[in-house]
Parts: sequence; structure tokens; C-alpha cells
Amino acid sequence: MVRFKNRYFLCEIISEDLHFQQSIDEWAVHNTVKNVVARMHGDFGLACCSIAFSVKYLNAYTGIVLLRCRKDFHRLLWSSLPFITHLESRNERYRCSFNTLHVGATMRTCQKFLIHHNRNQLLVLLRNCTSEADRQAIQKSVQSCKFVGEEQYNSEDEESKDEESDDSMK
Amino acid sequence: MAGFVDLNIPHLPEKESLQKLVASAAHLGYSTVAINYVIDYEEKKKEVVKPISPSELFTSLPMVQGKSKPIKILSRLTLVVSDPSHCNILRARSTNIKFYDIFAVFPKNGKLFHVACTTLDVDLVCINVTEKLPFYIKRPSVNVAMDRGIYFELVYVPAIKDSTMRRYTISNALSLMQICRGKNIVLSSAAEKPLQLRGPYDVANLGWLFGLSESNAKAAVSTNGRAVLLHGEARKTAFGVVYTMKKPRTPDEDDSTPATKKVKMAL
Repeated sequence: MVRFKNRYFLCEIISEDLHFQQSIDEWAVHNTVKNVVARMHGDFGLACCSIAFSVKYLNAYTGIVLLRCRKDFHRLLWSSLPFITHLESRNERYRCSFNTLHVGATMRTCQKFLIHHNRNQLLVLLRNCTSEADRQAIQKSVQSCKFVGEEQYNSEDEESKDEESDDSMK
Repeated sequence: MAGFVDLNIPHLPEKESLQKLVASAAHLGYSTVAINYVIDYEEKKKEVVKPISPSELFTSLPMVQGKSKPIKILSRLTLVVSDPSHCNILRARSTNIKFYDIFAVFPKNGKLFHVACTTLDVDLVCINVTEKLPFYIKRPSVNVAMDRGIYFELVYVPAIKDSTMRRYTISNALSLMQICRGKNIVLSSAAEKPLQLRGPYDVANLGWLFGLSESNAKAAVSTNGRAVLLHGEARKTAFGVVYTMKKPRTPDEDDSTPATKKVKMAL
């Protein structure tokens, strides 16, 4: 059986802007990435990258995105990701930068990596706790999270753990 | 596998922004950074300041992402030279110069590039990426530099900031690659803001744009950086043979005594 080979980019969006979390959506990321590919590699690059290009997953709270493109042209996409400096959504520009965490061939490997990554982030969070109350709050929010819908994946469960603990810190 | 190295974190006058920069480098996964002090003779800034020590900068060093080790902070001195007499400072063993771990030189013309590659006692030669190269890079001088273990530095942040600089960066990098064939290259940031820093894997992939092969690009952010550090350290030794090590201070020792030792002492 022949199948199309893809590459999945698991990226972390780093931003200092406080309103950033509420304002990003998949479409904004999609447009930003396409613009930067067009700027770096011109029309040819954009045409190559836009075959099967899509934003598969976006978590606004932790700033994690999963991008897909064809394997043949993934170098074009990857080499233009570092040149992203702004994210535009709803006519506002947010300063941000992309950090590639993992490049995988399937979504499954990316999911595994993300679970591992988020578990580490939780440990970092717990290590940085100053008081016992903080720690308890994180523990409580981790325990209280549950599946909302049946179609949610395991990784999203992990995500929500992390994001809630993030919220409780603030 | 050696950890990732960023050899160019510019020294900022505000301590707080420097802290942020180093912390975000640790977050991205760099295990060693070098804080860069620039001496430019055209700007009448001649005195060599004493580099800031890591303990002065941080009370507790930030942890490297994915490793349970604190980040290592080094110091680096960059001389912007346009005349051969400017390099005398490296030979003069003045008081502050011995505190620096790495010496780099930024030649402004072809003659000085040759001098830097062949005779000067430095670890890094910076390549200008913000304008068209004012000289041709010649193969004999590069070959001598490679034999001496001197590395060439390319900076990537100007390429991120501006489109015209990006063109110069890529064309200068490609012309260098034709001569040195991807060897002895170090990619570093020179980022003034935390958001300008990029993760090590992204930087290695930028090497693809600069004409590096996959393995050479990865070496440019990891093993080559390490080689520069060792080259800098070898200068402090006697002919690279005798090596002296700093004795750790006593309060640190008390903290780091392993549990097994304590048990033995108790017995």
C-alpha cells in the first residue's frame, strides 16, 4: 500500500504578551506560517508547502501547535519557522517566536512526545513552588480534571492538567 | 552528545534584561552560554571591563530544559579591529583580560582577516553578516585557521530582524561555505531580546539555508562550540599540557556532599 508521507512539527509559541492566549486561533497560525514561507521561499516555496499543509492541533493555554506538511518539502517549512516574529490575529500583532520541540512522522509520536514534555513541565512547575499552598492547589487542579467529551485524546487530557495548574499559579 | 552552546549573548547594561535572556536560553535547551563584551576601537571604548560573574547575575542558576543541570555561563571578549596595532591588547597580560574564557576578533578588512587566521591568539573569527563582505575570503588563510583550531562565527539574529540583512547573511555565509566546506563553523545568536533567541534545533536547521549539511549544521551548535571552549581553555594552560583546576569553595562543598558520605561520617 502506498501512502503519502507527512511530517508533523510540534512547536511551542513563546510570547510575553498577556492577551496572547485569548487571541490566537488556528487560522491566525495558519496565515502567519504561510506568510513567512512566502517571504522566505517565494511563490515556489509557498506552493510546495501548501500541499497538505494544515494546523492539526492548537492549545492556546500552553502555546502548543501541531503543523503538518508533506515530507518532501518539510525542510522548506522548517527553515522558515525561525523567521516568525509576529502573529497577527484580529488586526492586532503579537510579538512571539516559534520553538520546534519535535518533528515526527506520525501524529502518534508527536502525541507521545507531548505527554512526556508536559509531564516534565509539571515537574518544573512543582519544583518552582514556593509554598505548600501552591503545591496543594496544583495537586487539586490535576485531580479535578476529567474527560469532557469522548472524542478527546489522552494528550488533551494531559494538556488540560497542565493548563489548569498554570492557571492556579496565577 | 555534547550539549548545545550559544557563544554570543551580548552584555546588556541592565542586569534584569540579561537575566531574562539567559533564562530564556536555558528554557530553549542551551546548556552553555557565553556573555559577549565588545571592544570597538572606533567608538573610543578602550578599557577592558571585568566580566560579570554568574553568581553576581543569579542567586540560583536556571535549569536547562530537558536536563537537570544548571546552565553554564562563560565570558567572551570580542575585538573589532581595523588596524593591526589594535590586537596588542591580547598579548598584553593586563589585569582584566585573564578573566575572559574566549577571545574573538572581528576583522574589518582582508589583511586583518589573514592576520587573525594565521597569527593572532584567538578562538573565534567573526564574519560580518550585516553588510556585503568588504574582502574576499581566501583559501590559504582559512586552511591555516582550520589547522590551528580557530572557528568562524556566523550570527543569525540580524537575519531574523530584517530582510536586507537576511540576504547579506545568507550570501556571506554561502561564500564562506564554498571555502571552508561546512567545517569550523559556529552558529550563534547575538540576541538582544529573549524573543529573538531560537531553539537549538531550529538554528541547526537554519544552517541548511547557509549551505551546511545536516551533520555539519548540528555540529555548528553543539560540538564546535565545545571545541571553541576547549581551545580557549588550552590557552590558559602551559602548552596545552599542564592543566590547573579551581578548587571548589567550601560552602559549596558542604551542600554538595552526597548522602552516602554523610552516613559514613556519622558511623
